[in-house]
Amino acid sequence: MTTSLDTATREVAVHPTLDTLTEDYLHGMSADAGEPAWLSDRRQQALSTWAAQSWPDRKRDEFWRNTPFARLVDVTQPLVAGSPGARETHTVELAEGVVDRLDAPAATVTMVDGDLLEVRVDPEWADRGLVVLGLRDAAAGPWAGIVSEHLGSLTTTGHGSGRDEDRTISANDAAWDAGVFVYAPADLEVKAPIGIQLQVTRPGVHMPRLLVKAEHHATLQVVVEHLGGELPDVDRTARAKAPAVVDEVMEVIAGDGSQVDVVSLHEHGDDVAFLALQKAGVHRDATVRHLSVTLGGATVRLRPEADLLGPGAAAAYAGIYFADDGQHFDVQPYMRHIAGNTVSNVLYKGALQGDSRTVFRGNVFIHRDAKGSDTQEDNRNLILTKGARADSTPFLEIECADITAGHGSATGQIDARNLFYLQSRGIPREDALRLIVLGFFNEVIERIDVPIVVERARAAIEREVADADLDAFTVSEVAPDRDD
Amino acid sequence: MAELEIRDLTVRVDGSDILTGVTLDLEKGKTLALMGPNGSGKSTLAYAIAGHPAYEITGGQVLFNGEDITGWTPDERNRAGVFLAMQYPVEVPGVSLTNFLRTAVNARLEEDKPVREFMGDLRAAMAELQVDESFLQRSVNEGFSGGEKKRFEILQMALLRPEIAVLDETDSGLDVDALRVVAEGIDSLRGPDLGVLLITHYTRILRYLQPDEVHVMLGGRIVASGGPELADELEDHGYEHYAVSA
Repeated sequence: MTTSLDTATREVAVHPTLDTLTEDYLHGMSADAGEPAWLSDRRQQALSTWAAQSWPDRKRDEFWRNTPFARLVDVTQPLVAGSPGARETHTVELAEGVVDRLDAPAATVTMVDGDLLEVRVDPEWADRGLVVLGLRDAAAGPWAGIVSEHLGSLTTTGHGSGRDEDRTISANDAAWDAGVFVYAPADLEVKAPIGIQLQVTRPGVHMPRLLVKAEHHATLQVVVEHLGGELPDVDRTARAKAPAVVDEVMEVIAGDGSQVDVVSLHEHGDDVAFLALQKAGVHRDATVRHLSVTLGGATVRLRPEADLLGPGAAAAYAGIYFADDGQHFDVQPYMRHIAGNTVSNVLYKGALQGDSRTVFRGNVFIHRDAKGSDTQEDNRNLILTKGARADSTPFLEIECADITAGHGSATGQIDARNLFYLQSRGIPREDALRLIVLGFFNEVIERIDVPIVVERARAAIEREVADADLDAFTVSEVAPDRDD
Repeated sequence: MAELEIRDLTVRVDGSDILTGVTLDLEKGKTLALMGPNGSGKSTLAYAIAGHPAYEITGGQVLFNGEDITGWTPDERNRAGVFLAMQYPVEVPGVSLTNFLRTAVNARLEEDKPVREFMGDLRAAMAELQVDESFLQRSVNEGFSGGEKKRFEILQMALLRPEIAVLDETDSGLDVDALRVVAEGIDSLRGPDLGVLLITHYTRILRYLQPDEVHVMLGGRIVASGGPELADELEDHGYEHYAVSA
């Protein structure tokens, strides 16, 4: 007993936490992994940024105003990569997800606790030039030039109004553990999904890194799935904060005329805090579509962002979230119109029940040179039971007059008129509520063109409603109709 | 015994009594026209029969097949066989029309009708009411024109096969051609197994649907009752005559 305690103490000293990154640790990690010098240097640069920053503070950082970082994210957790037990052989039960059931995927990747477990690429797509590789392998091999050019290009440089990235990003820049590199050469239209599954089976800090590059006129569809949590052997009563933290950064570089679809699914257990920046740089006439489905996790802070860098670039970002008792979801899309005639369309819909909290802050920036740009941003929230709270703020920063901008935000209860209408057709209350909630989300779900993901999202919402206390559902005040 | 018996019904809305002592009987096989000017309480009666939660029954009874249904939920009433075609059908975003209809039909019939059979019935009803197939891809009432909404109400009535149908100003907002299609659709459903309470302001729909009885409502009461000839009188003289005597 004493021995094992001693061991643990020593190991904690060797393996840093999110709060105690060091040059030595990062050097050691780079060397162990055989990373090229340029990559090791990048990590050191990011570390100096990290060292100069402090953790987000709701009083100082307006982007964190409604999400108390200090209360929700445990920075004293050790990094899982290289921490005790990481290299030991152990058997874990992996949750099954959509990536396991994709129809004829072009590639699949499984990442577990900071390690790449498996990378599979369909040989036909590989022959045609599709590359899906571990990010370290890509950085050390013939793809080094491309990785070096783009890795960190959207997190460290910033464009237009930019925003000073916070420490959750520099931490990943410095200490990302397992990574994936996806590359489509010019004109290659990959008409099959690429599935990336990220699993959490151990407590600690997980720092995945994803880099996706579509050359001009290429097409890619990437499904990123986040699973795991519900960890055994973790004393939940002792700590209020989630014992597992996932701090993810994904960069998508969409070359001229390319089309990249990203579908991101968040189904962690309620012992995981998930922070993610999923940001696209969208070049001339390229389109990036981002769809997120957020159902799990104790805390989720999602930043789906797009820098519209070339004329004609377009971003269509949409997502749903369904927050239950105890969950805190914070979704902050950011559209930056840097070039003229760029288009962004943002639609997020959320439902809340129990003692849950959601935050939506939709940011749009339109640069003074971005003439002819068009943006529409909407957020809708459905409060299912008393006690849940949804904050919704559209935030537009416009430097250019010659543009079209619209935004809307609405938070309400289930509409009593809808409920009466369905019931008056013989549909029992609980079935009517289920139809209404599914209908509410449908506008977003039907944009997802991966059938298995649609099926999973619908089933998950049905499950949420089936498990809910329908008697506690509140509906809007019933008003009499006009009487003619 | 009439299948629907309304006994001395008093209904309160927003704290004031809109209906005060309404009594009306409707048998299967019969069509009753309930006529009256705006604000007379016709729609209130319709909603009270269907169980709308904003319409509080403070006195009297609504009996269906001899049972007092005033405590029943709206879905229980419909499944039992009482249908309301609304004056202002509600848009239900994101709920596909096909899914909605199938759920409703299965609930009413208390069985899981095979999809093929259901779609056959649906297509037949759509053809009868001249509703385009493209509607199947749409959400319930979403973006429908006024006339389309009314057709869709009668389409539901055709599929749900009620014993008693309350049609609240189904003729309003329809042009002449649409009125004819909708009225013929309703007429095709009439028969010994259906009682119809036809609520209307104007007499024009009665040209297609000859009523057995006409009742006039004013100020929350029924002020006159008679045969089809009463509708002709209203056509000629309007409601003012009753307003004076009421």
